[in-house]
Amino acid sequence: MTETLMPGGGVARRPLHFIVMADCSGSMKGEKMQALNYALRSMLPHLVDWERDQLQAQLLIRILAFASLPRWYVGEPVPVADLSAHWRNLDYVPMGRTNMGPAFRAVAEVLAPDRLERRALRPAILLVTDGLPTDPPGSFESGLAALTETAAGRSALRLAVAIGRDANSEPLDRFRSPEVPVLVADGTDEIADRLVTASIAVSRMSEIGVNRGALAEQLNLAEPTRRSQPDQVAGPRGTTGSFEDIL
Amino acid sequence: MTTVPAGGPPAGPAGGSQPWVVLTASERGASHVAVKSPNQDAVATERAGASGVVAAVADGHGHSRHLRSARGSRLAVKIGCQVAQELADRIEADSTFSAQRTPDGAAGGQAGEIARLAEEFLVPAIVGRWRDAVLADVKADPFTAAEQDLRHSGDDAVIAYGSTLLLGIALPGWLILAQIGDGDVVGVRADGRPVQPVPDDPQLDGLVTTSLCGAEPRSDFRTAVVDTAQQPLVALLLATDGYGNAQVVEEWKGAFSKDLAWMLAERDLQWLAGQLPAWAARCASSDGSADDTTVALLVSSAATPSRAGRPGDDGSEETTIPAVPHVNTVPANVPAEPHSIEPVTMRQLAHRSAPEPVILERVATAPAHHRPASHGHETTELVSHEPETTELVSHEPATNEIPKLPHHQGNEESRDGRGRDDHGSGGR
Repeated sequence: MTETLMPGGGVARRPLHFIVMADCSGSMKGEKMQALNYALRSMLPHLVDWERDQLQAQLLIRILAFASLPRWYVGEPVPVADLSAHWRNLDYVPMGRTNMGPAFRAVAEVLAPDRLERRALRPAILLVTDGLPTDPPGSFESGLAALTETAAGRSALRLAVAIGRDANSEPLDRFRSPEVPVLVADGTDEIADRLVTASIAVSRMSEIGVNRGALAEQLNLAEPTRRSQPDQVAGPRGTTGSFEDIL
Repeated sequence: MTTVPAGGPPAGPAGGSQPWVVLTASERGASHVAVKSPNQDAVATERAGASGVVAAVADGHGHSRHLRSARGSRLAVKIGCQVAQELADRIEADSTFSAQRTPDGAAGGQAGEIARLAEEFLVPAIVGRWRDAVLADVKADPFTAAEQDLRHSGDDAVIAYGSTLLLGIALPGWLILAQIGDGDVVGVRADGRPVQPVPDDPQLDGLVTTSLCGAEPRSDFRTAVVDTAQQPLVALLLATDGYGNAQVVEEWKGAFSKDLAWMLAERDLQWLAGQLPAWAARCASSDGSADDTTVALLVSSAATPSRAGRPGDDGSEETTIPAVPHVNTVPANVPAEPHSIEPVTMRQLAHRSAPEPVILERVATAPAHHRPASHGHETTELVSHEPETTELVSHEPATNEIPKLPHHQGNEESRDGRGRDDHGSGGR
C-alpha cells in the first residue's frame, strides 16, 4: 500500500455558479407565478442529474427574486441537489414593478472578483420575466453595464426566458449572450420546457470542446419560436490577444 | 534510470550554485478523456549550460478554435528549452556573469543584465521560432477540410496551435523565469514561505488567457530573475492551470509551499518522484479540475540533505535512483523507504496550521514497488527508455556520466496508444 501525500489544502471540482433572476413583479400574480415555480422545480432535477453524471463542475445555484427591488431568495450558493430537496415556492410582490437594473447590480456584486472563487468556471445567469423593464431612465443600462463590467458577468452565459411574446423585448436582447437566443414561452405551459432547455445550455457550458456556436445551434434547434437570431461567436477579447480558455 | 548529483560542494559562484533535479508529470484531464480529446499539455526538460537545467510546461488551449493546440504546446516546450540553452550558453560565455560575487554573495547588476537578456533575447526568440515552427508545420501538414470548419474566418494559422508556456531556467546562482498565459510558477523557500517571482498579469482573470498565438505575445510574456544566492529556494513549481484550478484553498500557493518544504525536509527525492504523478492525476481527475495537468518540479539538491538518495550517504560519489518505484527499475541497493506517517483517508479541505502536510488519500496498490496511484497516469518521463515511470534527472557538471536527454514532446502518443496524427510534426 502506498500513501499519497499532496501538498496544499486538497482538491475539489471547480464551482459553476448558476444564478436565476426570477421576475416576481405584480404582473406575475396567479397562474404565471405558479407556472414559474413549477418550472423551476422541474428544472432542478435535470441539473441534479447532470451534475451527478458529469465530471468536472460542482453546480452552485442562487435565486434572485426581483420586482421593484431585488431580493436574494437563495442568497448563498447552494448545491443544486440541496435546493431541489428543500424547494420552497417563490411569491410575487403585490404592486411590484419589473426593475431589472438593480437586479443586475445585485448579481454583479456577487460576481465581483473578490466574491467569486479564483477557479470558478464561467457562471450562468438565467433571467425569467413576463414583461418589459420598468426601470427609471438609465437604470436598466447602468445596471447591465455594472454586470458586464465584471469579468465573470461579461463572460457568463446569459440566458433569458420571456414569458409571452410581448416580453421578448429589445432589453432582453441586450442582456442575453450574443450567441444565444431569447427563449420564448408562449404560454405558462411552456415555461418549464424553456427552463429545461436553459438548464441544458448551462450544463454544457463546462464541457470541453463545446463552443458558443455549438451551444447557440443547440438552443436554436430547441427554440423554434425564437425571435432573436444569435450573433457571431465572440472572438478574442480586446487587442491583447486573450483567448477563451475552455480547459 | 538516471542519477542524482554527486556529493561535494556545489560548483559555481559562491553561495549560489546548486545543481537542480527536475521531476515532471503530466496527466490527461478527465474531461478530455470523456470526449476523447488528447492531453494538450506538454512538458520538457533539458540541460542548460554546463551545470544548469531548463524545464518547460505548456498548456494547449482547449477551445475548438485551437484545434492543433496539442502540437502547439509541444512546439512551445521544445523551442523554449532550446532558446533557454542558448541563453545559458550566452551567460556562461560572458565574463560579466562569470565574475566572482562579492564576499557577501551579492551579484551587483548582473540580475538586471540577465533580465535584459531574458526580455531582449529569450522572449523574442521563443515567440519568433514558435511561430516559424507552427507555420512550417502547417506547410508540411495543411489543415484538413474538417479542421478548416473549426477555424474562425480570418484566423491566423498560429491560432490553431495556441498555447501557454512556462519556462524555468536554473543556472548556478540564478533562476530565470518566463511565462505567457495562465498557469503557476511557485518558488518554495526552506522555511516554507512561497515566492512568486513572475509578476501577475491583470489580463488573466481566470476566464481568458494570453497566448503564444496572441496578437502581442512578446509583450504578454512576463519574466523574472531570482538571485538564488540572495534568495535561496529549495524548489520551484511550474504547473499548467489544471493544477491550480483543482486546489480548493483559495490561496493554495502558501499551503503548497509550506507542505512541500516539509516534504523536502522529511522525505527523499525518490519518494517525491513517486508522488508527483499522483498529484497530477489527482488534479486531472473528476475530483479535481478534470483538466490536463502538467507539473515540472525543480528541486534544489540542497533541499533533501540527509535522506536516502542523497549523494554521499553511502560514501559513493553517485547514487542511482529510479524515480517511481517500479518492479523493473528498483535496484537492489536502494532500500525501500519506510513511510513514517500514518495514512489518513479523510480528505482535509481547509488548510490548517499544523506543520504536517495534508494527506489526501491512501491509494491501495498491490506491491510497494508499484506506482502509488492506479489512475493510469500519462506520465511524461524524462528518459524515454523507461516507459511508465517518472524519473529523476539531475543536471550536473559533466564530471558525472549522465546520458543526454532526448526530446520528449510527443511521447504521450505512444503511451496512450491513441496515435495522434502529427503528420510530420512528431518529435517536435
